[in-house]
Amino acid sequence: MPIVTALYLLYLAAPIALLAIGSVGQSWTNSLLPSGLTAGWYGQLWADASFRRAFTVSLTVCAATCAVTALIGVPLAYAIYGASRRGVRAAARVLFLLPVAAPPLVLGFGFILVFSSDSLPFLGSGWLLVAGHVVSTLPYLMQTLVSDMRHLDLVTLETAAESLGAGFRQRLVGIVIPSLRQSLSSGLIMVAALSIGEFQMSNLIAGFLSRPYPVVLLQAFYGATGFACAGTMLLLLLAVLSALASASAGRGLPSSKGTPS
Amino acid sequence: MSGSPILRLLLAVPGLALLILFFLLPLGAVAWQALAGDAIQRVFAQGDLLAALGNSLLLGLEAGLASVVLGVAVALHLARLPPGRRALLQVVIALPLTFSGLIVAYGFILLLGRAGFATLLLAELGADPAAIAAFLYDRPGLVLAYSYFLTPRVILTLLPVFANFDHRQTEAAESMGASRLRALIDILAPQVAPTVLASFALVTAVAFGAYGTALALVGTQINILPLRLYSLIADAGADFPLAAALSVLLLAVCSFLMAVAEIAAARSEADHHVRT
Amino acid sequence: MSVVVDSLAFRYPAAGAGLDGVSLDVVPGEFCAVIGPSGCGKSTLLKLIAGFLSPAAGQIRIAGTDMTGVPTRLRNLGIVFQNYALFPHMTALENVAYPLKLRGVGRAERLRRAGQALERTRLSGLADRHPRQLSGGQQQRVALARALVFAPGALLLDEPLSALDAAHRAAMRDEIRAVQREHGIATLHVTHDQEEALSIADKVAVMRDGALLQLASPQELYDRPADRFVAGFVGHANLFDGTVRGPDLVETAIGPLACATGGQPAGTSVTLLARPEAVRTDPPDDAVNRFAGTLVRDRFLGSLRRYDLAVPGGTILGETLSRADIRSVQIPPECLRILPA
Repeated sequence: MPIVTALYLLYLAAPIALLAIGSVGQSWTNSLLPSGLTAGWYGQLWADASFRRAFTVSLTVCAATCAVTALIGVPLAYAIYGASRRGVRAAARVLFLLPVAAPPLVLGFGFILVFSSDSLPFLGSGWLLVAGHVVSTLPYLMQTLVSDMRHLDLVTLETAAESLGAGFRQRLVGIVIPSLRQSLSSGLIMVAALSIGEFQMSNLIAGFLSRPYPVVLLQAFYGATGFACAGTMLLLLLAVLSALASASAGRGLPSSKGTPS
Repeated sequence: MSGSPILRLLLAVPGLALLILFFLLPLGAVAWQALAGDAIQRVFAQGDLLAALGNSLLLGLEAGLASVVLGVAVALHLARLPPGRRALLQVVIALPLTFSGLIVAYGFILLLGRAGFATLLLAELGADPAAIAAFLYDRPGLVLAYSYFLTPRVILTLLPVFANFDHRQTEAAESMGASRLRALIDILAPQVAPTVLASFALVTAVAFGAYGTALALVGTQINILPLRLYSLIADAGADFPLAAALSVLLLAVCSFLMAVAEIAAARSEADHHVRT
Repeated sequence: MSVVVDSLAFRYPAAGAGLDGVSLDVVPGEFCAVIGPSGCGKSTLLKLIAGFLSPAAGQIRIAGTDMTGVPTRLRNLGIVFQNYALFPHMTALENVAYPLKLRGVGRAERLRRAGQALERTRLSGLADRHPRQLSGGQQQRVALARALVFAPGALLLDEPLSALDAAHRAAMRDEIRAVQREHGIATLHVTHDQEEALSIADKVAVMRDGALLQLASPQELYDRPADRFVAGFVGHANLFDGTVRGPDLVETAIGPLACATGGQPAGTSVTLLARPEAVRTDPPDDAVNRFAGTLVRDRFLGSLRRYDLAVPGGTILGETLSRADIRSVQIPPECLRILPA
């Protein structure tokens, strides 16, 4: 059995290792490994105006997505958690499943249909991109928050605070938000990671000047290997960093059942 | 309970408004487009689209099966590790979950493409590089690449179930005369089956609806439903009603699979509330 | 069939805990309880006998056969686990029928025999319930029926009562003993509850730090404990450290105590044991081993009263039926027992 795990880890590591090697290799055509060591591909990436702009777009969209998801997600999660009716709980389950049940491709197509009309001509705007990222990442944040609220037994904490004389606002500021700090930060970093890497929907709804990084990156795949590797490595590093940050921020959280991809 | 129902509704309003505007409305528009004309009939009249549906179903099931088999094997092993090492490996295994499909695609091109590392390595041993590349740029390659980000989902779903399984149950079965294998089949398997089925349905749905990795890996050459849909949408002035009909088909299959996953998950939750 | 444990040793790779040369035997029909504080090795002993662990040294013989290298499933032992380990996906009846299924008994026959086994434990009405629909006591009885239905050679009980509340525990204790008698089966019962062990077992093994301290009948364990640990662990005890000062006289912190020293030479360090029920209240003024003091704790327990009397140099724990005020007590010399210090 340990052999299966070892092989699996090799399967996970091999593509990443090759990307890393390729990104610092001078030339790599029809050889086992590249020849020559260079940082030139990263330099070229930095010098490329369209990549730089796309990177800025991605970071901006990511920051906006995190802000909106947090502002909307915390109250919504609190409302779902507080609701005792079965209907609300079932609706919440459906909400958690939406990103898989409705593939980004279909949702992106829906955006095209709705927002390229004359009455709602928003297709191609950065804000629509943010909206797309928000609806596709919101369920993951909700799931993290709601399961943490259940795990913490927030009702009991709040009842205790109420018995000590805390009003609604005091409970919100003094109890609810602080106790969710861990899951909120872990969930938001996950949202950031998903937003940075999002391709399937952005590819359909982003305007030419608001193309985020992954969409531009796809073009590079048809060019020089080293350049494509460097471009991919950048995305990979961002994803790994945020995954590690999310894991350390969420230490001690109950592992949520459905995890994003 | 904290807060009145009205207050709670107020808290939910921004989120609900957002979901209605940017989720229900777009999907509604898709459904409207699809159902307004005869697009759905046209899908079923077009042989290559039906073939795409078939290919996609096969791809989804193969990728789902591969990830579940691999995931079960790894999760069974991880569940037996001490918690510290298990937590560490869990973080490593969760990494691909946040990877863009593009990373996976390019990584596999480097590994198994025409001039890939493994391709050339195998060529040294006498394999035909063209055959290996043909393998990567077809369904088997997609199964391999999809499993890269599907297997972690399976592992992370199953691990808590395997790790929290009360091993005294299998010990008890062994004390009554069951062999190790028999105990696993009689006692462990029926109890984890719903969760395994749920994760299978989930990853199959993900594989069925995804197009990013496939697009990066094979372009639009392979005949699967999401790529056909993508081509239709990307072509300016294309047949939007037909695209909408394909979307509805995609939605229907994914939603059906998610419903299967949900029912199975509900079963397993009911089964797991054993003792207080 | 008998269970014989011979100089058994085991060491956990990580922790220092383990087992050091433990020997004991249980004959058919005999009920042996193993007690000790947590970490004493009693559960390890059970796991070794069950075959979940392999000993580093020593031997386990079941029905005279050496069990070294024999897997659990071939040892033919009935085991009741701490949390019962009932199979949640099977009904009570299916749980009990499972060992028979493993033995190739046909469906009709095994359901009939499982049904009978449930009937004997007065559970026939609940045969179709799943474990989660049963109370703790009912789960316990299903687990017991399941462990006995295939007529195993011996019965191992791993803290079987610890998950029950106090009210059910005493009743279940008697029920286990009755079923065990009926089957006439050699039984090893691991528990941390000394009262449970004394009330149920034919003999009791006291363990500490991986070693067997004493193996004796409950009465002997209580009356003649091997050392001060056993004396303190089994029942309540007054333990006074002291030095032999002369024939039949021991100097302790609360003063000189007259008792039979059994010829120990003067200067030997010893521990004196006096059980609280032996302490007499309000003795005559000229009684030996008489101590005057003040009552510092007084607990009324219904059938008796347990009190702490503070005397110069220490405290004396006593039990009495009297409800009068207590100002002095006597520890009769014949009730004092000398233990090695």
